[in-house]
Order: sequence, then structure tokens, then C-alpha cells
Amino acid sequence: MNESNKNFDELKRLLKLKRHEVPPPGYFQNFSGEVIGRIRAGEAGGSQSFMDRLNGQAPWLVSLLHIFETKPGVIGGFATSLCLVLLIGVVLADRPDSMPTSVLATPEATPEATPALASGVPAVTDNSGIAVSTNPVISLQPVATLFGQQQNPLFQSASFAPVGQ
Amino acid sequence: MTMLMSEPATLPDANAPASVLEGDLVRRARHGDLRAYDELVKRYQERIYATIYHMTSNHEDANDLAQESFIKAYSALKSFKGGSSFYTWLYRIAVNKTINFLKQRKNKHHLSLDDLDFNAEHDPDLVALVSDKTPQRDAGLSELQKKLNEALLKLSEPHRMVVVLHDVQGVSHDEIAEIAGCNIGTVRSRLFYARQQLQGFLAEYIKS
Repeated sequence: MNESNKNFDELKRLLKLKRHEVPPPGYFQNFSGEVIGRIRAGEAGGSQSFMDRLNGQAPWLVSLLHIFETKPGVIGGFATSLCLVLLIGVVLADRPDSMPTSVLATPEATPEATPALASGVPAVTDNSGIAVSTNPVISLQPVATLFGQQQNPLFQSASFAPVGQ
Repeated sequence: MTMLMSEPATLPDANAPASVLEGDLVRRARHGDLRAYDELVKRYQERIYATIYHMTSNHEDANDLAQESFIKAYSALKSFKGGSSFYTWLYRIAVNKTINFLKQRKNKHHLSLDDLDFNAEHDPDLVALVSDKTPQRDAGLSELQKKLNEALLKLSEPHRMVVVLHDVQGVSHDEIAEIAGCNIGTVRSRLFYARQQLQGFLAEYIKS
């Protein structure tokens, strides 16, 4: 133990060297001025005044930022929702037949909507509620064959074969 | 005559007149009086800078951290309840800020050492350490300074803090315990372990 203490005494003498390390001359003369200057700058300008300006122009944005700041989970949920909306948009945009099918399969595709084409071949609605149009454009679509309507009498009446043959 | 940067520091006595003045300064600064706070900064700037510098061994980092510590203390003055002295409270802010900084920096140490003052060459203890080893005393002290700082940086932050506060700054065990938020036994054991570690790192110089 004495040996250890003796060694520690030598170590303490060595550590005295640290007390002789001094910063550049005049360093402490400017130090407090810099600190006070930074405090004044923080009080006068900086982020606080920017937030004040923002609060005057868009208070809802400040409220939103405040919620994000206080509740980190909310910002995660918000970001996830945005990503989901974006993903859904991309998927829908990539489907080539999504637009025509959705438009043409709606009940709005009524004879009133297309009077010229519906004059001889009226549109029919089946029991499932799906509107089946007799529009010649539709008849060219593969949709008609997908449901096996070759034997469906409704589609037979919509045939373009000359009458009597 | 050059004043030593890290003279042994004792925390102000709560009953001393200077402490009453300090309380007045703190009260005024809390109400936004920057002149009063400027006085407080001037009073403690050397010791706060020195503590941070000895922890980081880097003048630029110490400068930034010391300034930020004083700025943070000013903004947090309203939360200062006066349970401890302002100096202890300020020390705690500076030490915590420094330890957080060092943890983020991890092991990327970059020495930027302050120069040794004129008195170092005439300190009999230091002269004895280097005179047997090197014929040129200045070169010996500079080398010793570098080795000492490198050895300190090998310690963990809590151990370095204790050895810097006690053996370099001269802060008592009680005061270190208050600053670090631990009991005195922990301070003593950390100090013993830190000294043992340093002894091993600096064996070449201590044996002389």
C-alpha cells in the first residue's frame, strides 16, 4: 500500500504538468464577451424569431411542427401514411386496364349517356348489378369472353350478325 | 507573472460574503441582466475552460464546449433552484456536456494542446522528472505533456473526470460527488482505479 501511495505521489507530481498548460494569451479577455454576444444573438434573432414569423403567416404549420416535436410517433405515422398514399397511386397508375374498366363498368354507362349507340342495342344489367353495355367498342374488349357469356342470351341479342341468318 | 490556469479549486463557501454576491449576481442574471451574467462568466471561465480542456486535450473543442456550457446555464437559470451553489451547478452542466461530446466523438481523439507556461520549466517536480532523461529540458517537457494527455485520453470519461477534477483541479471528493451525482465511495474507487491505470500508462516516467 505504501509503495502504491508513493507511486501515486509521483503520478500526482507528473499531473502537475497539466496545470501549466495555458490557452493563447488574451484568450480569457474575449471569452465572456463572446458568450454574452452569442446569448444576445440568440435572444434577438435566430430560430425564435423565425418561428414567430412563421406563426404569423401559417399558424397551422407551427401547430403541426409543435405536434411533431412533442410526439415523435405522430411524425412516423404521418410519414408512413404519405408513403402508403404514394404507393397506392403508383400501383393504380401502372395498371393499364384500370381506367377503362372502372369507367365503363359503372352504372353511368346508360343508354342516356350514349344515345346514338344505344338506339338499337340497349344496355342490360344482370343480377349481380354489373352493367353490361352493348357498345360495339365494348364488344371488342376481352371482358366479354372472360365471363363465358357465349351462352348467355343477353349477349346473343347483342350480336352483330345480320337478322335472319 | 503568468497565472496558472488550473489552480486548485475549492467551491465557494455558502456563508462567505463572496457567495452572497454570487447569489445576487445569479438573481439578477435570472431576470435577464446580462451584465451580472457577464460577471459570473468572468468569475468561472478559467476553471470551466480548464476542466473541459483537460477532459478533451483539445483547445478548440474546449472553447466551444465552455461557451456552450455558459450559454446553456444562462438559458436554464430559471430552473436553478439554489439547492447547490451556482458553481457546482455550472460545473455539472459543463462536465455532462463534455462527457456527452466525448461519447459522440468516441475514440477519434485529436490533440490540440495548449502551450506550457513559463513556470513549468522551473517547477522542481517537473524538472526532476525530465532532467535525467533528456538534455534539453523544453523538449522533455513537451514530450511529457503529450504522453500525459495521451494517457489521460485512454481513461474512460468518468475516470478521467475524477482524476482531472481531483488531481489537476484540486476539487474535493465531496464536491466531485455532488458534481457527478454519485456517492463519495464511488468517487474514491474511480480515483484509485484511474490512478492505477495512469500509473501503468506512464510507468516509464514515474519510475524515474
